[in-house]
Amino acid sequence: MVEASSVEIRKVNKYYGQFHALKDIDLTIPPGKVTCLIGPSGSGKSSLLRCINFLEEYDSGEVLIDGQLIGYETPGGRRMAPRRLRQMRSTIGMVFQQFNLWPHMTAQENVAEGLIRVRGMRKPQAMERAAEALTRVGLADRMGNHPSRLSGGQQQRVAIARAVAMDPRLMLFDEPTSALDPELVGEVLNVMKALAAGGMTMVVVTHEMGFAAHVADQVAFLEAGELVGVDVPSRILREPEDPRIQSFLRTYRERNVI
Amino acid sequence: MFSLSSFLDAFWPLTMAARYTLLVSGLGIALGLVIGAFVCVLALSKSRVWRTVAAVWVSYLRGVPMLVQLLVVFFLLPVIGIDVPAIVGAVVTTAIVASAYISEIWRGAIMALPKGQTEAAIAIGMRPRDSWTRIILPQAVALSIPQLINELILLVKASSLVSVVGVMEITRASQAQAGVTFRPLEAYLAAACLYLAINLCLAALGRWLEHRMAV
Repeated sequence: MVEASSVEIRKVNKYYGQFHALKDIDLTIPPGKVTCLIGPSGSGKSSLLRCINFLEEYDSGEVLIDGQLIGYETPGGRRMAPRRLRQMRSTIGMVFQQFNLWPHMTAQENVAEGLIRVRGMRKPQAMERAAEALTRVGLADRMGNHPSRLSGGQQQRVAIARAVAMDPRLMLFDEPTSALDPELVGEVLNVMKALAAGGMTMVVVTHEMGFAAHVADQVAFLEAGELVGVDVPSRILREPEDPRIQSFLRTYRERNVI
Repeated sequence: MFSLSSFLDAFWPLTMAARYTLLVSGLGIALGLVIGAFVCVLALSKSRVWRTVAAVWVSYLRGVPMLVQLLVVFFLLPVIGIDVPAIVGAVVTTAIVASAYISEIWRGAIMALPKGQTEAAIAIGMRPRDSWTRIILPQAVALSIPQLINELILLVKASSLVSVVGVMEITRASQAQAGVTFRPLEAYLAAACLYLAINLCLAALGRWLEHRMAV
């Protein structure tokens, strides 16, 4: 395994027109640990996650990957060269809520594509490596299938394999199980747990409180663009001090009773 | 009385004329695809000037009847000192009219792709060129096939309009045939059969392509 990255987020602000989506966010993501971002929808957690690989541009502040600023040459300065930005992104894996697999390629081709185009690997080696990555997520027998022939859980596992095959030092997950039927959530979470156990730095936007409680090393709670609290799950999820976190968890518990 | 022999006799001259129908619509779609790709690039450009150029191009060519455009080109070319056979003007007009529709077909197909498709490519560190050639265009082209075949069929029928500038394609040939034999019904029915045969072939080609490119 390649070394795991750390992420340092300092005073990050983000606006959509007049709307202040992220307000002075400060957050340290330690290497090799799992950080879960939770909070109500529209709280800015996905925006924050997308700032980490600069899929979303932040307007002020700094996002540092292993001490290197992403997106800008200097804080508040010019945009960084596209080539360098691409190079940084290629070490950050991302998994989306809607999987975003490429439908015209098989599972194996989906995983091999980045290795060929970004890593410059030859096709046979890339396909071999893709096969290994898919085997690791339990899809050895589905490699030749197009995404439309796979279940949601299988598609998301392909998407994880696609990101992991690039040997990332950091993985970002944007609500990876929110689009899945309940019975398919487990298989995706298991793959993520295995990744976490392997020492990958992971940032996970999620509504799966069970995952946050049992797998996360730290949980950050956002509301209305503000980082309300960051702590180990046992404290922030069980005995939160802030009333906003208390009320979020209360409605959450109520919704999840059978 | 319907004369079967006149009907059958009409097929030979009309089949000869069909070469021009196929030439005008075939070259028209081929050039239209190339010009349409350029117009589509302009329409999707970040620059407002280029987008306006594309918008004017598309509005004029879609907004004015092709028959009128053929006549305009036919009478305009000699005025600006370009002396070419009528068939050339007919092909060029057909191609630029087709380009307007084709650029819109492609723009629609590209815009219909979910944003996540490109985002996945960006996130993995792909160059824009690769994300266009490997991710966006293959999907957009596959998505546009039914509409492109539709456009091609429309063009085959619209090529009948170039008869007005003297190109001896199926429609004009059937008029000529009717004039010689005094058997208009037989001549025009033969023309109808030929158009239908061509377009049934194109529809079959379209289904085959769709099937092949289906994901």
